[in-house]
Amino acid sequence: MTECKFEDLIDEYLLNTLSEEKRNQFEEHYFNCPACFQKMAERDDMITAIKWKGHEIFSDLMKEEQTRKVAVWDRLFGFMAPRQWALTAVSAALVLVVTFGVIPALKTQSPQFTLDDHQTRGQSITLISDSIPSRFEWQKMENAWEYKIEIDNHDPLWHKTTNNNFVILPDEIKHKMKTGVAYSWQVKAFSRQGILIAESSKIQFFIPEK
Amino acid sequence: MGELVNDAQSFYNVRTVERPNIEHDLDAIIAKYRPIVSFRVKKSLGSYTPDWEDVVNEIMLNAIEKLESGKFRGESSVGTFIYTITSRRIIDHIRKKSKSLKYAPEPNPFPQPQEHVENKERAEMIARHLEKLKPKYKEILYLYYYKELSRDEVAKKLDISPRRVSERVNYAQKLLKKMMKK
Repeated sequence: MTECKFEDLIDEYLLNTLSEEKRNQFEEHYFNCPACFQKMAERDDMITAIKWKGHEIFSDLMKEEQTRKVAVWDRLFGFMAPRQWALTAVSAALVLVVTFGVIPALKTQSPQFTLDDHQTRGQSITLISDSIPSRFEWQKMENAWEYKIEIDNHDPLWHKTTNNNFVILPDEIKHKMKTGVAYSWQVKAFSRQGILIAESSKIQFFIPEK
Repeated sequence: MGELVNDAQSFYNVRTVERPNIEHDLDAIIAKYRPIVSFRVKKSLGSYTPDWEDVVNEIMLNAIEKLESGKFRGESSVGTFIYTITSRRIIDHIRKKSKSLKYAPEPNPFPQPQEHVENKERAEMIARHLEKLKPKYKEILYLYYYKELSRDEVAKKLDISPRRVSERVNYAQKLLKKMMKK
């Protein structure tokens, strides 16, 4: 028996999922095709019964589906009793509180600015008016293991890591620095574990014209 | 004589349109198209709309009048002609209703078959037969029509091709038809 090419559209038409254009085409078609109309009317009867009495017709399938869902739930979470789950949840909450609440509070607050740059370094740099500064010094910190000093003029120029609270600028860097150009320096303090614990603000200085 | 007419028509390139013998077929047309028009109207307006039967009657009357008065010139099929009248009348009806009801509700495509005792009994009988279908057919009807999964989703869930889904649904319908005939 030859099947009409529109037959495939019956379900989509009845389930209201056709585009408007296709729906109109199909409607015009079934006014002209008794076979399609007959099949569609029968399908419509079946779908109406399914929609109306589906909960009775498919009650066994629905129960099975429910059982399957419960089984999956059991497989995922059923290896522990509810009381054990409650204990686990309380323990997890405690771990979170300790990790994010207590430990950070006990740690040294970071970042911590301890350099007295305005009184010491800032002024001393400004005072060197006719030469390139050669010694940079900052206040010592008790818990700092090492310091990193960085000098830049928008682009990094030089940096050094030291355990002292001062550095001497090497001559080759001094020669690179130009008069009338603004430079800045900054110091960062690190703990023994390499964790940044403090940093100074950036202090600008000029190499004056000779 | 017939040959002369045919020659003349082809000579002047006259396009003749064959008119159906409508006068004798009116009863047949009503019998054939009334169920189709009713189906279309109920789908568009909802069978719970109290005046759907009036709309169907108006459409059929309008169609018969036009067929009798010769307004239907046979340029399209009778089916397309009645389809056009039906579509226009449905649009008119919805427009009129929308004016009186600001928020006209959308019709439920599958209303509860309780309007006629006959329909209700038929639906109950179909449901009883569907319950007896083999699990593989019931499962596909459950997923496709009751849960309204798409054909591709059903295919994926059952690990079969989308074409196979349609075939299985069609076969379930055939089985149902067979059971109903018994």
